[in-house]
Amino acid sequence: MDDNQAVNALVRRCVSGDAAAWQEIVQQYHRRIYNICYRFSGSADDASDLAQEVFIKMYRTLSTFDTTRASFMTWVTTVTRNLLVDHFRKGKYDRITDSLDAAPGDQEDGLTFAERLEDKGLSPEARVRSQETQKLVHEALRRLSPELREAVILRDLQDMDYKDIAKVLNVPEGTVKSRINRGRTELARLLQRNYKQAN
Amino acid sequence: MAGEIHSEMQCNQVEALLAEILDGTLQGETLKGFETHQQSCASCRAMIDEARAGMNWLEALDEAEPPRNLVHNILAQTIGALPSEHAVVKPRGEGWLERLKGRLAPMFAPIATPRFAMSFGMAFFSITMLLGIAGFHFADVRHWDLSSKGIRRSYYEAQVRVMRYYENVRWVYEIESRVRDLRRAGAPDQNAQPQQQQEAPAPNPKNPSKSDNRRPGPQRQNYSRGNGEPVLATFPAVMLAAIPQARQNRRTA
Repeated sequence: MDDNQAVNALVRRCVSGDAAAWQEIVQQYHRRIYNICYRFSGSADDASDLAQEVFIKMYRTLSTFDTTRASFMTWVTTVTRNLLVDHFRKGKYDRITDSLDAAPGDQEDGLTFAERLEDKGLSPEARVRSQETQKLVHEALRRLSPELREAVILRDLQDMDYKDIAKVLNVPEGTVKSRINRGRTELARLLQRNYKQAN
Repeated sequence: MAGEIHSEMQCNQVEALLAEILDGTLQGETLKGFETHQQSCASCRAMIDEARAGMNWLEALDEAEPPRNLVHNILAQTIGALPSEHAVVKPRGEGWLERLKGRLAPMFAPIATPRFAMSFGMAFFSITMLLGIAGFHFADVRHWDLSSKGIRRSYYEAQVRVMRYYENVRWVYEIESRVRDLRRAGAPDQNAQPQQQQEAPAPNPKNPSKSDNRRPGPQRQNYSRGNGEPVLATFPAVMLAAIPQARQNRRTA
């Protein structure tokens, strides 16, 4: 029995009222859903709330999951993405359009984004590994438009293939690739341009 | 860039294949055409480098650690149950106190908020202050006699105090009534008589059963002032005659 069949059996048990099966589903997928929500919303508190909402929605609509249309992973990601988009449309998690040169409000060290990038004076690999740089990349990710952000999150952070991403986003595969490329390029420009300016 | 035409591949073709280029999935003639184009096109090289840098930044991001109570909260909101033991990440060897806390915490989670704590604190402060004003001190509790005999004695003492107080009040009514009768006898007023009868009706001797069933006394009196003279509460003469007998009965009991 491969993974898909095992998950489908788990879902069937859950739909038939097996609480232990639901617990297993929650255990298996809560990290993934939380991370998607966290990278999309940019806030740990919002991500926790959103992840709970996603599971509540999943619990209510689990019987609508069709094993012939997509994998359970794709269905879960679709539910998550749709809920995130709904919240975004409500204006709860608006895009941050501040310049990278502006000092972020939650950072009180007075340094600009570029200054903090340049601050370490490390090689790119070492900077990425550092906790501070993780925050900077996370902030840069929040500055992407929602369309580009969701595409790069699903591809580069969740390792989904283009076909599944196209199903989740309900757009053609070519559009998915284009958004991923633009998202990566814009993110790199946000980070590297300011790093070069700081030098 | 898009308008540039090269021998092997055009820039727009490179852009369309950018995802595959970064994934390293190009093969055969397409790969050769791309490599040839890349060597001669600086703009495409820059585009690929930027996209690759962005991909590297993103892939280097660590997975965020979800809150420890996330699974518990999800299960509580969906099936309304706590996660099973194997599902909860608990340190081994935790004591009974931690287990008790773990079980009680979800029960008190809705009220374990600063708002409830503030309300509870204010209520406790108010009650303590009222008890202090009323003369109650918690330090006196240890002096209380909580035996059955002591409780019974306290009960009768309290009853006696209440009865004494009540009778004192009745005596006031009686005295006031007598004074008013004396005044009326000294200076009879024909006009005030009907009004007085209306305000303070005497028990009807023709129908004693009815007057016995209804409770005569100050409760049914009209205490409003009439003709500029204060109308005092009266106590029926029948009841006055019954008081010594009732007192005697109570003492006997």
